[in-house]
Amino acid sequence: MKTKKNVLYGLYDDEQDLLKAVKASNERGLKIMDVYSPFPIHGLDPLLGLKESRLHIAGFIFGLTGSLTAFLFMSWIYKIDWPNVFGGKPYWPVPAFIPITFELTVLFSGVGMVITYFIINGLSMKTETEVLHDRISDDKFCLAYDVTGTAGEHAGTLESFLKETGASFVSTKEMSDL
Amino acid sequence: MNQFTFEGKTKTLILGGIGIGVLCMILTFVMGGELAQARFWSNFLHNSLFFFGIAFMATFATSVWISAWSGWFVMSKRVFEAISAFMGIGGLLMLVIAIGNFADFHHLYHWNDAEAVATDPVLQGKSPFLNKTVYLLVTVSFVGLWWWMNKKLRDYSIDEDNNGSFGDFSQIFSSRKWAAGFLAFSGYSSAIAIWLWLMSVDAHWYSTLYAWYVGASWWVTMIAFVILIVIYLKSKGGLPHLNEDVIHDLGKFLFGFSIFWTYLWFSQYMLIWYGNVGEETSYFWTRAHGYKFLFRLILVLNFPIPFLVLMKNSNKRKYGTLIFTSIVVIIGHWLDFFLMVKPGVRQTAEHLLHAAGGHEAAGHEAAHEVAEHAADIPFALGFSLPGLLEIGTFIGFLSLFLFIVFTALTKANLEPTHDPFIEEAKHHHV
Repeated sequence: MKTKKNVLYGLYDDEQDLLKAVKASNERGLKIMDVYSPFPIHGLDPLLGLKESRLHIAGFIFGLTGSLTAFLFMSWIYKIDWPNVFGGKPYWPVPAFIPITFELTVLFSGVGMVITYFIINGLSMKTETEVLHDRISDDKFCLAYDVTGTAGEHAGTLESFLKETGASFVSTKEMSDL
Repeated sequence: MNQFTFEGKTKTLILGGIGIGVLCMILTFVMGGELAQARFWSNFLHNSLFFFGIAFMATFATSVWISAWSGWFVMSKRVFEAISAFMGIGGLLMLVIAIGNFADFHHLYHWNDAEAVATDPVLQGKSPFLNKTVYLLVTVSFVGLWWWMNKKLRDYSIDEDNNGSFGDFSQIFSSRKWAAGFLAFSGYSSAIAIWLWLMSVDAHWYSTLYAWYVGASWWVTMIAFVILIVIYLKSKGGLPHLNEDVIHDLGKFLFGFSIFWTYLWFSQYMLIWYGNVGEETSYFWTRAHGYKFLFRLILVLNFPIPFLVLMKNSNKRKYGTLIFTSIVVIIGHWLDFFLMVKPGVRQTAEHLLHAAGGHEAAGHEAAHEVAEHAADIPFALGFSLPGLLEIGTFIGFLSLFLFIVFTALTKANLEPTHDPFIEEAKHHHV
C-alpha cells in the first residue's frame, strides 16, 4: 500500500550553497530526507552519511565469472572436445586464451553491473517516478525534508532554515512514498 | 615542519648501506672465477640503469603534470624533484659504462667484440647503430640534455618559492615550455637509449615494444618510491597538507601502471610466442627454460600482488597496503631488470670463454646453439639467481640513491610556498 509523504524542499542555485546548507543542517540536527542534484557533488556522501556502494563487489564477482567462463570454455573446446593443432601450438595454448579471457571479464562485469544497478534501484522501462521539481534534473540543487504528520511549527522552522541558508525557492509537495 | 633534515641515525644507516654496496662490489670484482668480470659489470649496469631510469621517470612525470596543469601533485612535487636529482649521479654511472665500453674495459655487449662481428652478418648489419662511438655519443648527449632540462624545471620551481607571489603564473608558464620540450625530446630519445643500453645486451634480438616495456617498469618503480618517501615524510611530521586523496591518486597510479606493465609484458610475449620466429623466440626460450624460477616470480610479484591488493578502493588509501605493495613492486621490477640484463651478458661472457678455449663457434650460430640448449643452462650464482653479492650491491645503489634524494629534499621547502595550484592541492578531493 502506498502512503503519502509531505515533502518540504528548497532549491539552491549553486552546489557549494547546498553543501553549506547540508553542513548547517547536520549541526542543528535536522533530519534530511534526501538531496537531489543534476550531477554528483564532491564531498556530499560523507555529509549525508552514505555508505560506500557495494556495486563493485558485484562487479568483481561478475568479472570472475567472465574469466572462468571464457577460460574453462576454451580449455574444454581445445583440450577435450575438439583437439586441433593451430600453427604448431600445443592443444592447450594458454597465452592465446588470455585476450579472450580478458574481453569476457570486462563484458561480464560491465553488463552485469548495469543490470544489477537497474534491479537494485527498481528501474525498468515501465518505471514512473514522481519528481519534486522539474529543475532538479537541470540546474538546481535540492535539499528535501520529510514533514509528514509534523506540526506546523516544525515545518516553519525548516522553511526559515532553508531560506536562511540561501535557497532561492522553497515549497512543499505531496508525494507517494519514495 | 616545512624543512626536511637529513642527519643522525638515518644518515648513518644510509652511509652504512653505501659501504656495504662498495664492499660487495669490490668482493665481486676480486673474487675470481670465470664469470667474475661479467658478474661485476652486469651488476653495475643493472643497478645504474634501474636507478637512473627511476630518476628519469620522475622528471617525465613532473613534465606530464606541469603540461597538463595538474594541481593534485603540487603538494608532493618536491618528492618528484628530489628523485629526479639522482639523474646527475646516475648519468655519471652510465657514463662509466659507456667509457668502459669505448675503451674495452668490459664485455657486456656482444656487438662490441670485433672478432665476433667480423664473422657475423647480423651484427655487421646492425653495426652502424651498435658501435662504441654511437653508444658514447648517445649516452653523453642524451643524459646531458635530460639532466639540463631537469635542472631548468627544478630551478623554476625553486625560483617560484623564493620570488613568486600569490596568483603569479610566470614560473609555471616558463617551466611549461621546458616540460613540453622534455616530453617531446625524451619520449623519442629514451627509446633509443634503452635500445643501446639494455636491448643490445642480447645483440641478435630485437623487439619494438621493448622500450615501452622498460619505461613502464621504471614508471611503476618511480611511483612506488614516491609513495614510500611521502609516507616516510608524513611519519616525520612533514607534508601536513598532503591529504589522503593525493595518496589515493598515487595508489591508483601504482595499481594502473602495474596493469600497464603486465599488458606490455604479455603483448611482447604473446606476439613472439605466436609468431614463432627463431631469432625472436630465443630471448624468451632462454629465460623460460634456463631461468624458470625468476621468469615466473617476476610475473607473480608485479601483477597479481599489486592487482589484487590494491583493487579495493580503501586499500589505495591505507599506509599498510601501500607500503607492502610498493616494496613488493620495487623488488619485482629490480628482478625484472635482473632478468633483462643477466642472460645476455652471460651468453656474451661464455662465448668469449669458448672462443678463447678454442671452441670455434661463429657469432650467431653460437647464439642459436645456446638457445637450443637453453634447458641445459647450468646454475650460476649471480646470473641464474641473485646471490648475496647482488643483494649487497643493490643495497649500496639504493643507499646512494636515497642519499641523493634526501639531500635534495633538504634543499627546498617540502611544501612549495607560491605554487599557484597550492590551494587546489590542499583541497584535492577524489
